[in-house]
Order: sequence, then structure tokens, then C-alpha cells
Amino acid sequence: MSQGIAATAVRWIFSRGQKGSKVALRAEFTPGKVYLHVTAPVKTIPCVAPNAMKLETYLRMAEIPYEPMYGWGVGPKGKIPWIEYNGEAMGDSGLIIEFLNREKGVDLNQSLSDADKAVSRAFTKMVEENTYWGLARNRWIDHFDKLQQLYEIPWSVMFFLKYFGLGKAKQAMWNQGIGRHSTEEVEGIMDTDLKAISCFLGTKPYLMGDDPTEVDAAVFGQLSEMCYCIPDSYLYRIVNVDYPNLQAYCNRIKDRYWPDWDQLTGNNA
Amino acid sequence: MSEFLGNTQGALAALYEILQTSVLQLFADPTQLSPNQSVVVAAPAMFVGAVLWTFWSGQRRTKVKLRAEFTPGKVYYHAPPPLKVIPCHTPFGMKLETYLRMADIPYETMYSWRMGPKGKIPWIEYNGEAMGDSGLIIEFLNREKGVDLNQSLSEADKAVSRAFTKMGEENTYWGGVRNRWIDNLDQMQELMEVSWIGMLLLRSLRVKRRRNLWAHGMGRHSKDEIEGIVEKDVKAISTFLGTKPYLMGDEPTEADAAVFGQLSEVCCAFPGSYMERLVTVEYPNLQAYFNRMKDRYWPDWGELTKTSVPLSVIEVLSSQYL
Repeated sequence: MSQGIAATAVRWIFSRGQKGSKVALRAEFTPGKVYLHVTAPVKTIPCVAPNAMKLETYLRMAEIPYEPMYGWGVGPKGKIPWIEYNGEAMGDSGLIIEFLNREKGVDLNQSLSDADKAVSRAFTKMVEENTYWGLARNRWIDHFDKLQQLYEIPWSVMFFLKYFGLGKAKQAMWNQGIGRHSTEEVEGIMDTDLKAISCFLGTKPYLMGDDPTEVDAAVFGQLSEMCYCIPDSYLYRIVNVDYPNLQAYCNRIKDRYWPDWDQLTGNNA
Repeated sequence: MSEFLGNTQGALAALYEILQTSVLQLFADPTQLSPNQSVVVAAPAMFVGAVLWTFWSGQRRTKVKLRAEFTPGKVYYHAPPPLKVIPCHTPFGMKLETYLRMADIPYETMYSWRMGPKGKIPWIEYNGEAMGDSGLIIEFLNREKGVDLNQSLSEADKAVSRAFTKMGEENTYWGGVRNRWIDNLDQMQELMEVSWIGMLLLRSLRVKRRRNLWAHGMGRHSKDEIEGIVEKDVKAISTFLGTKPYLMGDEPTEADAAVFGQLSEVCCAFPGSYMERLVTVEYPNLQAYFNRMKDRYWPDWGELTKTSVPLSVIEVLSSQYL
């Protein structure tokens, strides 16, 4: 597996960017089956990519059978996770969910009013387009030394990432915008976002009420990465200590949709 | 005339001759380059290098020029000058200025095309310091001036307010960037009232915008996918607004500044696009909301847009170097 990681790291670092990736598809597939491409579980979490946690939680919530294909190969838009379905590759977890909703006739939001669906959309986008970047910044810049332990990669790949990949990641974050802020400013932004989720959740079991909806997959995807990984980070502290209802919420979704968490992460000693 | 042309032709031929010999000498034996030859080779190389570095370089913190004298406690608001269709072509400028007007914070407008300390516009000067990023500026001014536009909201409503602000600024905004800079760049000629030289500059800046879009993620989608994403965002804002006068109720709050900032661009600065169609035809309560905010906080809209100033290529270039 580390060969695959090394290959992907080299390709990513030396790529000129802005090219969709050419993906290698399966020669044979079962029609109507979802082949989910994500990175393999590590000790702390089933997948280190927040949108992969979101997509897989959605598949479990919607009871769509899928086959996980572990690897570090990126999808057609150069991102992870991605799926293969009926011989075609699809990227971007949001677009995949919309597609599967149509294809499989799923609607996790059917109990919501239109106004609630709108609020649901706003929280999904906030958490994926703002909070996500604070998480990326925290991992790649503030706690880069912890990355090897988190991703469970050998020192050779880490060497590559440090001397060739870190600059690229920093450039990406500058281009997106989050890289222009100081660490304190990013902590402030993250605190405001997480406080908003915590206040909106309140004492409710799930974000929009008594039953889980699509936004819970998105929010859990991002929060799980903060709740269970890198205990030294301020993100871990904010989710577990400052706003404990977020920790309870993560555990609730983990217990309900990830009963095999310990088995996947190899923690059932 | 023919003598002049003949002279020019002769001069150009001589220049080409010098350039050719210089380059050949450079590759053959650089140590033997004469001073003239060195200049002829180095000057164009430096010029090309400078142009490329200007438009393609990444993470440079901008060196901002501050005022020598300032009034303590006064906000000096830096933004690009008005255009024919809108007082500020960046939604964050519309948002910040609307916030200053909503909060009754007096400010002095300094129109220029120079970037702020984080390489973004708008930015402010306050007590001799430059500050960037409209969201952080608003938080700072809230604390400094004791302003709270959200005081009537419950904690849960403040949370929803935050969610809509961030959706508009971190998702819908990028759909606008893609539309303006990639799909309809030619429209910018009229929008910014630039000549063909200005368009060359804008085409070069497009390289950076593509990079921004790719890094963000929006740039990896097709045009139709982006239209779908933007439509869902706009639908969410429209549905949540419903028949209310303002986003969170009967009175405007901080989220209205942010949402108005994004919507004003959609309503005014993308003529003939699918974005204009969304707010005028499919979700007309957004057009009504835009007009309501504009009438209340921008009574001088017409006056400002009449004093539109075309994009100044010199100023943009000088803000990168001087």
C-alpha cells in the first residue's frame, strides 16, 4: 500500500495542477453497485478525508450497499472520495450524493420543510467550504509533524511530502484564501463556525431534529476528523471540551452508523 | 513617410541583428559578451520575468502604502472605484460598506486599485494599521466600536445567520468568480470600461483566478455543474427569506450585509447570465430584497455609479511593485 501512497504523492507533487485525473477503472463491475474509493482506515478514524467520512456515512444512512476500494488514487476531479458506478467514475461527494439520491430514489430530507432544507444547505456548505479549510490548515501547517502518525505513512513518503508537497499545499491554501490568515485568526474563524453548529444543535439529538438527515452526514464528516484525531490540536479541544454537545453528537452518529468502527480501525484488542 | 518607414525598418533590422548576435554570443561564450550585448539580452528577459512574476506569483504579502497622517478612531476604507452598474465590483466591498452604513460607523472612502495586506480588497486603515478580510474587519469593528447588529437574535438564529453568510461567501461567491473570469471575461471590458490594453491585463490575471478556483474546488466542475450548485444556493437563500423583509426577520442584521453583498453582484453585474435569470425570474423575492436593502442603505447608488472610473492599468501594475 505504501507503494500506492508514494506513487500518488509523487504524481501530485510534480503535477502541474489543474488537470482532471485519468482514473483506472475496474474491468468488470456489477451494474447498479457502488464501488467507493477512499483511503484505508487508520488507527484513529476509518478515513482521514472528511468528505469520505461524509459520503460513507451517507451510504450507510441511505442503506445503499457499496464495496469499499481502499487506495490513494484520486478520482476524476483529482479528489478523494470518488465512486465507480456502472463503469463510470464520478468525483465530488456532493454531486455523488445528488446523483445517488436520483438514481436510488433516496431522500433523507423528506421530513424537512423547505425552510429547513434551506438551513440544512447553508450548514452543509459552511462546514464544507469554510470549516473544512481550517481543518486542512490545522493538519498541514500547524500539526504537520503529526501527519505521519495520523496517515500512517512511512518516513520515505513523509520526506517527499515535507520537501515537495508542503509548499504545494501552502500555495493551494493561499489561493483558496485561508492561507492568508494567521493561526490565531484561523482559530477564531473555526471557533465561530463550531460554536454556530453547537448552538444550532443545542439539545437536539441531530442537527435538524429527532431524526438524522443529509446534513448530519456532512457535519459528522468534518467533525469526526476533529473529534477523534490529533488530540494536541485546538480543534480537538474545541469539539471535545469547549462545546461538549458536539462530542456527544459525534459519538451518537458513530454508535448508530459505524458499529464496526473499532473493527475497521483495528482497535478491538 | 516612406523615408520614416524606411528608417524604422532599418532600425528594427539593426535591433534584430544585435539581438541575434547577443543571444548567439550568450550561448557560445557568455564571458565574451560586450556590455551592449548584455543589456540587449538582459533587458527583455527581465521585462518578461517581471510581467510573469506579477501575474503568476503566489503567496506574496502585499506591501501596503499607509497614510502618513490619520485621525485616531477613524476608518479609512479602501475599495476599487465605482463602476457604471454597481458601486463596487467585489461583493466583499459591497458587504463591508453596507455594514459600515448599517452600523452608522463614519468612514472615509479611499478609492484605489491597490490590494490590502492579505492581497485582497477591500481593506481598511485604522489607527495607522492596515487590516484585510471583510469578515475579520467586521469582527474587529464590532469589538472596537461596540456594535452588535445581531443583538436581537437568539443563539440558534445567530448560528443560522453564520451558516448563510459562509455559504454565500465561500460557495456562491466562487460560482460568480467562475462566471465572470472564465466564462464571460469579455463582458468585463464593458463592466470595467477598459481598453484592449486593460483586457490584456485582465486576461493575464485570469491565470491567477483559475488557480484560485482549482484550489478551492469549484474550478474542477463543469459549467453545468457549477450552475446547478449556484442555483441550489440561491434557492436556499430565497426559500429561507420567504416573505420576510430581511433574512432573519423584520429588521436587518449582519447576515443581510453579507447576503446583500453577494446578491448585488448577481443582480447588477452579470447581465444576461443564468445568475441574473435566477434572481429576476425564478426567485424574484431576491430581487425585491436587493431593492429593499439598496433603497435603505444606498440612497446615493445612482450618484456613485455616475462617477464611475475605468480600471486603471497603471495603478494595478504599480500596486504590485511600488
